[in-house]
This record gives sequence, C-alpha cells and structure tokens, in this order.
Amino acid sequence: MKTGIKHILIILALMVPTACSDWLVLIPPQGLIREEFWQSKEDVEAVVMGAYQEFAAMDELLFKYGEIRADMVVGDVNQGNDDRKVAEGNIYSDNSLCNWNQFYTVIDYCNEVIKNAPEVKKVDNTFTDYAMNGYLSEVYWLRGLAYFYLVRVFGDVPYITEPTETDDTDLYVEKSDGEEILRKVSKDLVDKRIYATTDGYRTLAENKGRVTKAAYDALLADIALWLFDYRDCIAHVQRIEANTEYVLMPGSRWFELYYPGNTLESIYEFQFNRSLNQENSMYGLTNRNSYNYDPSPKAIESFRKGSSTRETVRAEDASIKRYSENDYIIWKYVGRQADGESVRTGIDQTSCNYIIYRLADVLLMKAEALSQLERFGEAAQILNLIRSRAGFDTPLSVPSSPQAYEDVILEERALELAFEGKRWFDLMRMGRRNNYARKGKLIEIIVANVPSTQKRILATKLTNPLGWYMPIYKTELERNKNLLQNPYYDY
Amino acid sequence: MKKTILLFLALLSLPAAYAQQGVIIRGRIIDKADNSTIIGANIIEYDKDNRIINGTVTNVNGDFILEMKDRNNVVKVSVIGYETQEIDVDPSKPITVKLETTSLDIEEVTVTAQAKSSSTLINVDDRDNATSTVKLDLVDMQDAGVISMTDALQGKVSGLDIISASGDPGSGSQLVIRGLSSMGNNKPLIVLDGIPQFNTPEGFSLSSADQEDIGNLVNIPVQDIKSIEILKDAASTAIYGSRGADGVLLIETHKGRMGKVQFDYQYKGSVNIQPPAIPMLNGDEYIMLQLEEWHNAQGVFDIPPEIAYDRDYPDFYNYSANTDWISTITRTAYTHDHYFKISGGGEKATYFTSFSYINEGGTTISTGAKRFSTRVNLDYHLSNKFLFTIQFNYNKNNIDGNLELDDGSGIHKRNIREMAYIKAPNMSIWEYDSKGQPTGEYFTPINSYQGSGSIYYNPVAVANLGRDDRIENDLQNTFRLRYTILPWLIFRQTVAFSFGGSKAQNYLPYNALGTDWLAWTVNKAEESNNNNSSIHTETQISFNSPFKTERHVLSGAATFISSQSRYEWMNIQSNKIPSTDIRDPSIDGQINWIGTGSGESREIGLLVNLNYKYLDRYMLQTTFRTDAASSFGVNNRWGSFPGISAAWRFSDEPFMKSVQWLGSSMLRASWGISGRQPGDAYARYATYVTAGNGSYMTFPAIVPSQIQLSNLQWESVSSVDVGMELNLFNNRLYIEGDVYQKVTNDLLFKDYDIPRSSGFNQLKYLNGGQLENKGWELMSDYNVIRREKIWVGLNFNISRNVNSFNRLPENFNTERSTAIGNEDYPLRVVEGEPIGSFFGFHYLGVYPSDKDVIARDANGNILYDSKGIPLPLTYTDQYTFKGGDAIYEDMNHDGKIDLNDVVYIGDSNPDFIGGFGATVKYWNIDVSCNFQYRLGFDIINKVAMQTEGMLNRNNQSKATLSRWRVQGQDEAGMLPRAYLNHPANNLGSDRYVEQGDFLRLINFVVAYELKPEICRKLRLRRLSVALSGRKLFTWTRYSGQDPEVGQDASDPFWIGVDQAKTPPPRILTLSISAGF
Repeated sequence: MKTGIKHILIILALMVPTACSDWLVLIPPQGLIREEFWQSKEDVEAVVMGAYQEFAAMDELLFKYGEIRADMVVGDVNQGNDDRKVAEGNIYSDNSLCNWNQFYTVIDYCNEVIKNAPEVKKVDNTFTDYAMNGYLSEVYWLRGLAYFYLVRVFGDVPYITEPTETDDTDLYVEKSDGEEILRKVSKDLVDKRIYATTDGYRTLAENKGRVTKAAYDALLADIALWLFDYRDCIAHVQRIEANTEYVLMPGSRWFELYYPGNTLESIYEFQFNRSLNQENSMYGLTNRNSYNYDPSPKAIESFRKGSSTRETVRAEDASIKRYSENDYIIWKYVGRQADGESVRTGIDQTSCNYIIYRLADVLLMKAEALSQLERFGEAAQILNLIRSRAGFDTPLSVPSSPQAYEDVILEERALELAFEGKRWFDLMRMGRRNNYARKGKLIEIIVANVPSTQKRILATKLTNPLGWYMPIYKTELERNKNLLQNPYYDY
Repeated sequence: MKKTILLFLALLSLPAAYAQQGVIIRGRIIDKADNSTIIGANIIEYDKDNRIINGTVTNVNGDFILEMKDRNNVVKVSVIGYETQEIDVDPSKPITVKLETTSLDIEEVTVTAQAKSSSTLINVDDRDNATSTVKLDLVDMQDAGVISMTDALQGKVSGLDIISASGDPGSGSQLVIRGLSSMGNNKPLIVLDGIPQFNTPEGFSLSSADQEDIGNLVNIPVQDIKSIEILKDAASTAIYGSRGADGVLLIETHKGRMGKVQFDYQYKGSVNIQPPAIPMLNGDEYIMLQLEEWHNAQGVFDIPPEIAYDRDYPDFYNYSANTDWISTITRTAYTHDHYFKISGGGEKATYFTSFSYINEGGTTISTGAKRFSTRVNLDYHLSNKFLFTIQFNYNKNNIDGNLELDDGSGIHKRNIREMAYIKAPNMSIWEYDSKGQPTGEYFTPINSYQGSGSIYYNPVAVANLGRDDRIENDLQNTFRLRYTILPWLIFRQTVAFSFGGSKAQNYLPYNALGTDWLAWTVNKAEESNNNNSSIHTETQISFNSPFKTERHVLSGAATFISSQSRYEWMNIQSNKIPSTDIRDPSIDGQINWIGTGSGESREIGLLVNLNYKYLDRYMLQTTFRTDAASSFGVNNRWGSFPGISAAWRFSDEPFMKSVQWLGSSMLRASWGISGRQPGDAYARYATYVTAGNGSYMTFPAIVPSQIQLSNLQWESVSSVDVGMELNLFNNRLYIEGDVYQKVTNDLLFKDYDIPRSSGFNQLKYLNGGQLENKGWELMSDYNVIRREKIWVGLNFNISRNVNSFNRLPENFNTERSTAIGNEDYPLRVVEGEPIGSFFGFHYLGVYPSDKDVIARDANGNILYDSKGIPLPLTYTDQYTFKGGDAIYEDMNHDGKIDLNDVVYIGDSNPDFIGGFGATVKYWNIDVSCNFQYRLGFDIINKVAMQTEGMLNRNNQSKATLSRWRVQGQDEAGMLPRAYLNHPANNLGSDRYVEQGDFLRLINFVVAYELKPEICRKLRLRRLSVALSGRKLFTWTRYSGQDPEVGQDASDPFWIGVDQAKTPPPRILTLSISAGF
C-alpha cells in the first residue's frame, strides 16, 4: 500500500506544472505581434501600402472638406445631418466631420515605417538602401499630405513624428502652429525628394498611385502657394513641366482623366479597384440615386454660361449631367464618357480613382504664383493653355493686376477642377492672401450659394477668418487636456 | 483484482474452518422505527478477548451472510447512527435484527470537531480567524423556501450591497463588497468548494455574463449549497492573490454524512407577478398629445393621416386602437423547481448526490429558463491516512429570451419592454383591412407614424415570432487526495477540470417587422458557439502544531497553485433565408459573417500561510501569496499579496472570568493586499492586422492595430480592518463591528480612451489613479427567547461606506458629455470626491407665459438690450425660451442657459445600507421575515425622462396629462409644453433626480414541519411545507418602478440612472420538502 501511495504522489507531482517562465509566455493565436513583425522588406512594403489604403479610404472626406463649405455643390435630401450643418456654417464641436482620426491614423502608419524601416534593414540583407529610401520617400509624402490637409482644415494641430508603439509614448500632444508645421513638412519633402522615383514603378497604376518625384513637386508647389512663397511654387512646378512624361490631355480625351483614369496628365491619384475589393465612396455619394451631393446652382450656371460661349469640353455631360430642369448630378465619378449617357456599370462603379494632383492643377498654381509676382504675361499663357484645351480659342484679356488675375484663375480652377475637392481651399487661399484683404470676396462667393434666409447669418459667421477652420472634435478635447479648442469655437 | 483478493481470503479461511467448529449465519438488518433495511451495517465477530476475528457488511437489501470462525464467539451489529447490538447466534434460521437509532445525533459529533475555514488554502480554525469574514449557513433556510442565493444574502451581510440587475429570468444581481473599489465590474471571486470560478477569460462572448445571477454564475441549485462565506478584508482575500480584489465568496456544497442513506425531495412552485407598470397614455390621449407637439413646434401643419382620425385612410382601423402594449407583453408566470438528493455513507465512504430541475417562467412573454443540474460529492477513505474525494457537477441551462433590436443609434438595443413603453398606443396589435376586418397578421407596417418598422417594431410580434435562445452546458470535476504523512503533517493534492460550452441562436422572420424579406435585418439567423475549458491544480503541505504543550499552537500551509484556461468561439450570421420556419444559419442563406477566435491564459501562484496562537487567546495569522500571470510581460509578471491579522480573545483572559455575561469575544485587526489582473491575456502585445480593404492596388496592406503595453501591471487593493466580535448574555446577543479603510492603487482602466491624434482610439488597459473606500459595519444577532418550544431571534445590520477618487490618472480629463442636450447629463469627476455625483441644471418649473421669460442679473434686476427691451433667457445661442418651456436657473446670470449653469444636483452612493429580520419558531411552525434598506442616495429617473419629455413620437406616461397648454396657465406640478424636437425642454436637470431611499420586505416565510410521529405513520423521515413571498412590499418615495439601481464603476463617470429594466417580480412560493 505504501509504495502505491508513493507512486500516486509521484504521478501527481508530475502533473503539477513546474514554475518556469516559458510556461507563462502565450502568443496570441490570431494576428501578428511586433516581435514577429518588421523582419523583412515585405513587412515594410505592407505597412506602406496600409498607409496608402487608409488615406485612399478618406476620399469622401477629402471631397467634403474641399467642397461642401464652398459654392460648387449643394446637399440633397440624403445629405447627412452633420454634413448639412457644416455646409450651413453651423459647426459645433460635436460634428463628426471634425474628427481628424483618419488623418492621424495615416500619420501613425507613416511614422511606424519611418521608425522601423532602418531596423528592418539591419536584419534583412536583401533590403537595399535604395529600396528603403524609396519606401521612406513614399511615407514622408503621405504624411506631408496628411498634415497639409489638417492644417488647411483645422489650422493649428498636434505635430507628431513618432509612432505610437507603446504606452510610453506621449499621447497628449499640444497643438503646433500650422504654418510652422507646413514649413517643417516642406523641409522634409525637399530632403526626401531625391529618393522618390521618377517613373520607376512596374505599372502605370503604380506610377500614378504611388509617390513619384512629380507628386513631390506638386505637393511642394501647393504648400508653397498656401504659404504665399510664390517663387518656390514656380520652381517646383517648373520641375514637373520639365518632365516630358506629363502632358495635358487633349480636349477630346479630357474625360479620360476620370474614366479610365491614370492618364498622362495625372500626377497623383488614389487608386481604386472594386475587383480587388478597393471601393471608392465617390460613386455612392454622387450617383443619381444617392441624392446626397448635387452640383450647386452656381456650378450649373457657370457651366451653362460656358456652353453658350462654346465651353464644350468640361461642361454639361462632362463635369455635370442634366436630367431635367432641376435635376443635375455630378458626372465625373459616375460617367464613363463625356456624353452624359454612358454610366459606369458593374465593377467600374466604385473603381474610379480620386485625383489629388494633375498637370492642369499645378499649372494653374503656377499661374497664380506668377500673377501675384506680376508676371502677367506668363500667367496669361498658362490660362490660355488650359482654356484652349477646354475649347476656348479666343485668348482672355485680363487687366494687368494681381487681383484681376486672382479672380480669373479662381474661376478657371472652379471649372477645371470642379468637384475635385479643391474649391474651398482655393477660396481660403484667396481670403487669407495679403492679410485677409479679400475676405469680403470670399464671403460674397459663399453666401451666394445659400438660401436668402441664411445669407446674413452666414456672412456674419464668416467675417471672422478663424471661423473658416473647423473646431476640434469634442471627444478629442475631452481625451486630451493639453488641447485648446480653436479660438472661434471657444465659448 | 477484487476477485483475486476474495479468492485469497477464501483460501486463508479454509484451513481455519477445519481447525475450528465454523458455522454460517445469515440474516437481515432493519431499522426498528420504520422497518426499512439498513445497507452497509457491519456484522463483526469478536473472540473472547474482544478481538475482531471476522466480519461482513450488509448488502443493498440489508442481508448478510457471516461464516463464523467459532460458534461461541460474539457477533455484534454496528452502523453509524444506530445503537450497536449483539446477535443471538442461531445458524438454523435467518436472523432478523432490529436496530434502534442512536440518541446521539451525528451532527453533534461533527460540531465538537473544530470547524475549519471553508477555504482549504489556509489552515486555521474558524473560531480563531482574525480576519473580517461572514459565514452564512444555508441549511436552515432551505426548508424555509429560499428561492435563490441572492435571497439568502440580500440584506443579511453588512458591507455587502446586492442589487438585482433586472427581473427577467436568467438576469440577476450585482454584488459590491465594501464599495466600488476598481474600474471593472466589481465582481467578487466565487470559490466553489475550493475551486475559483473564473474560467471565463475576456474575449469569451457569453452574452452579458456579468449580469448573471450569482446563483446562475456558479450554476448550482441553491439546495446544494451548505454555506456561503464572504471574505471582506484584504488580509483574507490576499490568499486569492490576484483575483481577490473585489472580495471573495466561498461556497460550500453539502457532503455525504455517515449514516443511513437518506432520500430527500423538495418541490417549489412559484407564481411570479410583475409589479404594476407606469401608467401610459391610451390611444386617444396619445393622438391629442402628438397633435399638440406638432402644433406647438410648427404652427399650422398637415396632420399625418395616422393621427388624423381620417375614416377614408386605408389604415384607419390600424391606427385608431387603444392598445395597452405593456399589458400585452406582461404575464403572470410560474416556476416549478424539483430537487432530489440522496446522501449517506459508512466509515469508508460518504456520498451526496443531487438532481435538480427548474422550469422558470418570465413575466415578459416568451421568456423563460430551464435548468437541469446534477452533483455527486464522494469521500472515500482508502485508509485512515488516505482520503480520496471526487466532486462532479453538471448543469444544463436552456434560456429563452426575446430579441433586442437596434434603436437606430447603432449603439443601444431596445428590448421588448422598452419598446412597449414607447410604442404608439393608437396602433393595433393585429392588422385590419380598410373595412375593419382582421387579416390574421400582426400589424407591422414598414413605416409607421413613429418611424421605421424595424426601429419601432411591434413588440408582441417580435416576442412571438422571433427567438433568442441560449443553451449552456457546464461540467466540473474535482479530484482531491489527502494523505496524512504524520499526525501533524498533511499533504493535499487537488486537480479540478472544468468544461463549459454554450450555443446561442437567434432568428427574426420578416413578418415580425413587416419589412421585405430580403432586407438585411430579417430572415436573419445567427448562431454562436463558445466553449471554454480549464485546469486548476493545488498542491499543499500543511501542518498542525507538533508541540506537546497546548500553550503554543502553530499551524500553517504552503500551497502551489496553477491554473490555465482556454476558450474558443465561432459565430455565423446569415440572412435571406428563404423561409420563416428554417431558423438555422447554415441553411442556404447569404452568409453575412463568420468569425472564430480562441485564446488561452495561464497563471501560477505560491501561497505560504503561518498561524500562531498563544494560550488560546492571542492569535497571529500571516499569509503571503505571489502570483504570476501570462497577461504580463517579464518585467511586471510577479505580484505579491501579503496579509497579516491578529486577534485577542479577551474574554478568556483570567481577569475577565468574573464577567459572567461575556461569552467568547475577541478584538481583531488586519492588513493585507489583494490584486486584480487584466482579463485579456494578450492585451500587452502590439499587434498588426490586415488593413481595411486588405490591399492597395495589388499589394497586401498590413497596419498596426494595438498598442504595446509596457507598463501594464497589477492593480492592488490594500486594506486595514479593525473589528470586534462580542458574545453576550450567555451567547444570546452577538455583535460584530468593523472599521475599515480600503485603498486601490494602479487602478486598471479597460479600453481607456486616448487622443485620436495618436492614431489609435484606445489603450487596452491603463494603470493609474487611486480610489479609496472607508467605512464601518455593524452586525448583530439577538436571541430574544430561547426555550424548548419557542425561539425568537432578531438580526440587524448596517454599514456605511464613503468612496472617493483620490487621484485620477495623469492627463485624465474630468469632464465629459460637455455638449449638453436633451436627456443628457454633463459628466464630471472631481479628485477627492466620490464616483457617482450628478451634475446638471436646476429646474424651477414652467414659464406660465411668454412675458415671464426674462433674464435677470445677480441682484434680480431685469436685463435690457440696447433698445431698452427686456432680454429673454436663451438656451446657448440656439433657442429663446417661450411660455410653457422649462425654467432652468441661470446660475451665472448672463441671460444664457449653458454649460456654465451646471451645478451639483445629487449623489448616487447610498449613505447607509443594511437589513434586519426576525425569526419565530413555535412548536413546528417557523415564521421569518427579512428586510433590506438603502438610504441616502439619489437616482436619475431616466424612465420619467423618456416618458415625460414630450418632444418626440414616443408614447408618454399619464403624468403628461397635466402639461402646459395655453398662455398664462400656471398650476403646481405642471409639466412643460408638448413640443416636437424642442432643443431644451428636457435637459439633464434635477427635475428627474429623486431620492432613492427604500425599505423592502425581501422575503416572508411561514413554514410548518410535520410532527415526527405523524411522519412515521406516513413512512416519511420528515415533511415540511412552507409558503414564502419575495419582494412583496417596498416603501419608497421614488416614483419610478424600482429604486434598486445598481452601482457600476466600469467607468469613472458612472451615475445611477434607472434604465427601465424589468423590475423584479413579486414571487409567491409554495414549497414541500419530504425526507425518506
């Protein structure tokens, strides 16, 4: 009996797991953990693509930030409540459009790559300097673009350049001055431009959907213009002009910019492909049955006026489509041809790309910079180039004043870049110029787009330029004590 | 094996039979009282020197055969519970032996042995325990018809706050021991027969498991429970280390007792009655209110046909009903509870086995629960040194519930009862055609006056046609060995396995909502399967005082504990199922979603415990536990949980001997630390997942999804407790009092919100801040009369706890919900103040007319604008108040009602909680009652807020009949005007803050036990009948349905809001217990 007990005791003792620390290390069965990640160049590439993917998923938001406070679109019955409040200028800090989370998610992904790519290079021998710098140039550009949007929408924002890897990271970052952020971004972009490829990707889609030197130049030019550094702006655009890969599409093929996209004119566009489950939001937002966003009366009027003086390329059936007297839709993201008939079908419906920069855009930026430097002749040349592509043969005669050119270029940009998420920022740029000298013009343009009952209220609200920026989202303020609400909304 | 032994014995006895004059006797042993046969009686042959020669045992029929060595020897029959008897040896015929039961009750024998604490982890006698624990014996209560464990505990134990979560079957109670001490759900650890019940790691989606009744949580019938012990201070909970921070409940089940086999059967039949609902408007009143809301908001308007009383409207008959929705979904329900147990045993083995079946009906239609459970507890003494114990427990639960549907917010789901409250009463349950003929279908329009048919659904249709069922299976096996190495040294080994599986299924056919069957919300079936398993081991060496002297007593134990648990889940959801009868997602529908997951967690612990007693008067007990868990990284893995307690039994001091009225009494003090660990074993890892679309162009995309937690560590609760236990007047009065302070450090915040500028939404966990609870408790028991025929006992307890948030985590913002709006309370926490304070506007009534809306400065002077016109009061910049609107006090006198006018308006923490009760026993009649009270706390009456606001199309309560209607109307207690979508008439204000104080009769029991003589005639061992009532009366000034509003510290901004859960039903129970 005694030995029996001993045996049982031995068996039991074996059953008791011995206290070793390995026994306590459990790896999650689902997902990758950092300890297993950042081992090869493929990991770096996957996160770079994650950043692109996340930014592309913001297409609807980029459109809204760029259009709904301006005068080219109006909301229809299905317009969201928060969207409508923004359009009407009744913006409170609980408006979901004030949530900047997606931008900062992209920024965090970029920061992850910037921090970890050099680490990967230490362990992956096949990861060359050239490849690493290429990836880094892509994320620096994406991060720069994210900050450029943030500064234009919110003014001053937290400037974060380190990834949030652990709970040791400082999560409670204060706002930095918007202009300073843009100067830092510009400096980064200037530094990293040399690592960006000119056209070295394998496919056309990659050359348009990933960052190239031209994309660098376009973003730099845009930022420079926003900061009113006209000479820099011109210099950046000139580099694109020097590249023969980028040419204006002829008027007859203008609509190819939108369908099928990735044209020679395109500099950078976020890529969508429904067959790869990468669907855009713009079709859902602008197709005839969505009743969400329609061309504004002002937009319709501009294009109609154009058609009477032989605007044939960009007007009805191209930028917009008329169904009946009061039934217009935005055609750029819905149609297949500039005929107002061929609607996208099947997988094409949500596959159209979202254009960030194209040659016409940057050329007009250059024209704006030139005119502000009173180099009117060169500016007029660009304007006429764009206009003749749009079917206008007679050159414009513009009085030689920066202000006159400003108005003409603003109007030209409205037509050329209609519904491409540019208008509100163009208006803001004009309004901010020369210490808000033309604030009144901005108010006049925007107020023209609202019902008469709202005109006075909106005009009063827009008088204070601080109100042109969005408030910081309520929950963001609640979560971060170090943030101060933007001045206009601080009541 | 057995055969060989028998053969061997037979061979041995063979030569003996030749040598001596052997003889075979046979017979039967029966009980003298009831002539039942006795199983397992020992028939033993003694020689003339009284040495045991031979023996046998009676079989199941009570028969025995004994081959005697010598006919002259003496044969005795003995069995526990009966007098030993000598047999007349007569081999010629079968002998019948009638045994008499002993006068010595077995129970009294066990009483003389000192009771040890239910926890086997420490080796100390209950009597000497120097920590703050309360042990409740449930044996007495059982025959008295106690329905649930909650009943047994509510109002009985000081410092234990029990709140029923809801009156629906299967939902249950919340237990808070000595105040809210952590940012979790404050769920005490339940230890069932020494096995901690925490086999459910987070991520395991047993729906709302934390709301389950504690009785359901441990999944055992209440009749199986022998005692519940509540460990309150950290010196006692420290032995459960990282699991003990929220207090510990030790539950002990019955074990077999030596003696004759006993059969017991109990039936409990209950009637569950829903207390009266809040009276709601009928159809006509509702339509009138709606017309008024529209008119006040919009002036002249086109009356929607649903409320226009238009006879030409095709749906006229469907919209002109007077439906009382609440009563259509409410019913009186019945519960049947059958319980059967067998117990008994001999010297070698004792056993206890039980079967239970409960069929519980809910007071809401289509709700109910059925539970089957069985238990076997077996103790087998292999030898006098070796004890082997097996416990086996199996439960099966079938819970039928009703679907809850999204209220349109995507966050909140509305249950049937909530829907019934707000559903338009002018709508009918059944559909009528335009001629007024019933079509036989439920009336479920896709869009009604109130809104979409899937949001404002027909509650009767959804209850009867939809289903939401859950089946749970739980199995737990425990094996224990106890080996006495030396008389003072014992080795114990415990291995416990448990397995749980659950399957939840829900289905909603299209005709329940009236939508097209292709809509994604209908013809949708969902099934989820979960299973979890765990292994828990304990290896212990314990010793008792090896000294010869009785002056010093030293005992202690060292225990090694390991546990590991795993879970797996699978969920499938499909819709477009082509039939309303096929309710399985695996049928050819369109699969919306399939998901699976799994996980594992492990931990080890080492516990050392040392107790010292000097002269039976001075006690010192120490424990030290160290735990390591897989949820932490290497640097923070180990946590230490010490505990020390001391007691002085001053009543035994020589100088106190003269004090006759003082019984055994002691002073005690303790200090200890216990902990809490994160539930998610993988929270500390930074993880990477496939990005949203999975790719960009043709490249795979991977993104970070979770932040690495380098600082994750144990939450620790340290507590100091000083107490006194007094036994007075010949043990007639017992008083126990405690003063304590409990401090929680490094509070574990789960899913802690962080600025989105980080790129993330939440930290999975954050340690930070400090929370303190201090208070005192008093419990007393008084035996007023203690005679043979009559016994009267009174008990009373009271406790007070003050909670304060001493320190908040760094960077913690103390204000939330700052965008004030209707039905919203701005939320604040203040360092040094308790959790659960209300802030809001100060409501002053209703403006009688437009001209009464005047802004005034601090001195009461009217404010004028530049033109000399009095300024009206406005709500921020959005709205100017008019006659009939609610008046809010303009605290800062700026003419504007905004966030700056928010003031403190109440507190949801009770000042005092407790209970009292009385028991009277007279002859065979037993009457007892128990009361529970909570005093000094406020409740936000959210139900009133939603049913008296009059700003939407929801049905409202009868209270709204006294509302403002015309200019100049000024009545006491008048409500503001009806106004569709009014921006400010229903702001979070003290209008809805009410005193929640209540006193409730928890249960009232009358029990009668049949006299033994009559029982004997009926061939029964005992028979008792009891009638009990539960929650029959509540005395409160609270106007809502039920003032039992729970505490919830899952977020620091918690406030006590009455969320319109089903109030606990009144239950009347008849129970019959019989023993054979």
